Amino acid sequence: MTARARGAARAGRVMLMPALTALLVLAAWPALWVLWLSLQRRIPVFGIERFVGPSHYVFLAGDPRFWNALEVTLVFTFVSVALEFLLGLAVALALQGQRRGRRLAVALLLLPWALPSVVTGRTFEWLYHPSAGLLNYVLGGQAINWLGEPALALPALIVADVWRTMPFVALLCYARCLTIPVEIYEAARVDGAGALATVRDVTLPLLRRVLLIALLFRTLDALRAFDLMFVLTGGGPANTTETLTVYAYRSLFQTLQLGFGAAIGVVVGALVMLVAWAYLRAMANEEATA
Amino acid sequence: MSGTITRVSPSFPNVPAAQYFVVRLRRAALLVVVAALAAGCAGGPAESGPVTLVFKHAKILGPSDPVPGLLREFEKRHPGVRVQAESLSWNSDDQHQFFVINLEGRGAAFDVMMLDVVWVAEFARAGWLLDLSPWVSRAELAPHFPSTIEPATWNGRVWAMPWLMNVGVLYYRTDLLAKYRLAPPRTWEALVDQVVRVRGAERDPKLDGVVWQGRQYEGLTVNALEAIWANGARVFGADGAVFPEEERAAGGLSFLRALIVSGVSPSWVTAADEELSRRHFGDGRAIFLRNWPYAMALFQAAGSPVRGRVGIAPLPGRVGGAASAASSGGAHLGVNRRTRHPALAAELVRFMAGADAQKAMSVGGALNPTRMALYRDPDVVRVHPDFPVVHDLMLKARPRPVTPAYLMLSTTLQPEFSAALVGVKRPRQAIEHARLRLSYLLEGLR
Repeated sequence: MTARARGAARAGRVMLMPALTALLVLAAWPALWVLWLSLQRRIPVFGIERFVGPSHYVFLAGDPRFWNALEVTLVFTFVSVALEFLLGLAVALALQGQRRGRRLAVALLLLPWALPSVVTGRTFEWLYHPSAGLLNYVLGGQAINWLGEPALALPALIVADVWRTMPFVALLCYARCLTIPVEIYEAARVDGAGALATVRDVTLPLLRRVLLIALLFRTLDALRAFDLMFVLTGGGPANTTETLTVYAYRSLFQTLQLGFGAAIGVVVGALVMLVAWAYLRAMANEEATA
Repeated sequence: MSGTITRVSPSFPNVPAAQYFVVRLRRAALLVVVAALAAGCAGGPAESGPVTLVFKHAKILGPSDPVPGLLREFEKRHPGVRVQAESLSWNSDDQHQFFVINLEGRGAAFDVMMLDVVWVAEFARAGWLLDLSPWVSRAELAPHFPSTIEPATWNGRVWAMPWLMNVGVLYYRTDLLAKYRLAPPRTWEALVDQVVRVRGAERDPKLDGVVWQGRQYEGLTVNALEAIWANGARVFGADGAVFPEEERAAGGLSFLRALIVSGVSPSWVTAADEELSRRHFGDGRAIFLRNWPYAMALFQAAGSPVRGRVGIAPLPGRVGGAASAASSGGAHLGVNRRTRHPALAAELVRFMAGADAQKAMSVGGALNPTRMALYRDPDVVRVHPDFPVVHDLMLKARPRPVTPAYLMLSTTLQPEFSAALVGVKRPRQAIEHARLRLSYLLEGLR
């Protein structure tokens, strides 16, 4: 390496410092602190503050409420992200094929995504209302207990989540569709490809990367799902909709068991990082084969 | 909007707008910063000139807010003192979080605070409340309802003064009961018989029996405790044992489950809060409702479908169990231990909890006082004709367990109670699980 290159490398490192420092202060330090907190039994109300090592994690390993929350979180994530993926893709393709009123369709599509989750929660609360709700009315005056029946509460929340976030996937895919050159489609037509074959062999392969990105975002969000559960069910009935973050909130903020709540937070963090890592690897492979 | 009155009564279970929780996590971070700043500013130089007291309270919504007038009156009586009222969101969990973060951060940004009754022991145990014993004697608390005194005097000291009162009551349709020559039921068994009889004769599929609050939140704790108490069981025994009368506690839950299975209560009570059940009854679609006194004003308002057809009665007891067992609720006033003006702050608490101020609160606003004599005061009764009846109900009210670990207790019980109501666990099993978990969590926390 020449002296000049070494100088440039040093300048580069110096210029990286502010960003690295910010990252350390804003991300690494709090994460380490939470990790440290999770190794303590700390309940300020009772003046308890002592190091207990990994005992919170040992308790969680045998805690049915924790395993239930983990299961709820995973089911919610898998089902809602899968539905958002399929519906979002379908909507994007439909938009692409639409001749008139595209702008209106896009604007309408944005609406659920743009609404604050509080408003979405309130809206669905009324839709699901057992005696005055639109849903039961449309079903012919049924009295279905959407949010109070163990088998229905989680599906009801998933539907609300899909309604709210499907547009995100749809718009990302649609934006990518717009950048696909028309020539490729013309070439496909000349080669005699039908509509189905065009979607399968042209559009979908070109959408792969953006779909992976959309999936990454949506999965990480869903793993931390909190607001809809909190507004609509409070985690009930019988904890059938209590996710890990709701459990963490109850321990951390509501009952002030800081160490124990931090331990749940660490588990959520680890889960999110694991999934993010898997996605990033898949994307790297994608790049290598592309 | 009609729901506003709920928020006037700051009882913990009234959470009609839980959606504000959503922003909490983000706001928490901000509050930490604010608390740190406040703590930093607290050690300023000794005050010169007029003294300012800060009174933090839940937003008082309703026909009018009598608080500012009362504070001006206090200022008039104490020249050189200014009281600044700052309102918090009416969401009880938001308030709790605000106080916890600021008090744990040793903030002195406020002096007097309005506390949900179930927090008093917790805050006292944490060392966040000023011991008011030097200023407030036991005799001064005596005119308040007995169930408000137990939380105020946790562990033998005076930590707060009772301010607003709440109690679980049974609403019934006077027209329907009169039609079948029935008196308000004294036991739950009698209530079930009346529901069967009235619905059998009315043949109206849209008319439900009794509605209450079974959603997994604080309201469920209250409703389930009332059922458990009515069946003659307690949460804590004298020795601290959890659910010492296990069979009877399970029997209380079994009864609630049976109400749903038999159709006496619609199955959606497992998702109902105060407002959902209040609206249903208010639309004339149920014979009985368990709720708080705030609902009466809404039922009697112009345009209400049930106007003039609603009566109020004690919650029923159980055959072979206890007589009426209603839970109390409400708010107390306490002083921040880090206040720089302890004597003045205690004086403000005594003034606000005093007879004149409470009278103004109940006449001007739609709030229920904690002083028993006001329920017979002619000026108050003129505005609230149902107060003499409500008085008798409040007199018999029971506080929820007075313990610094109340929130831990309640949030542990909620999923177990909910599981019993929706049939995921047998009541016996739910009580057993609650017991195991609580013995572990409360270990060494007394």
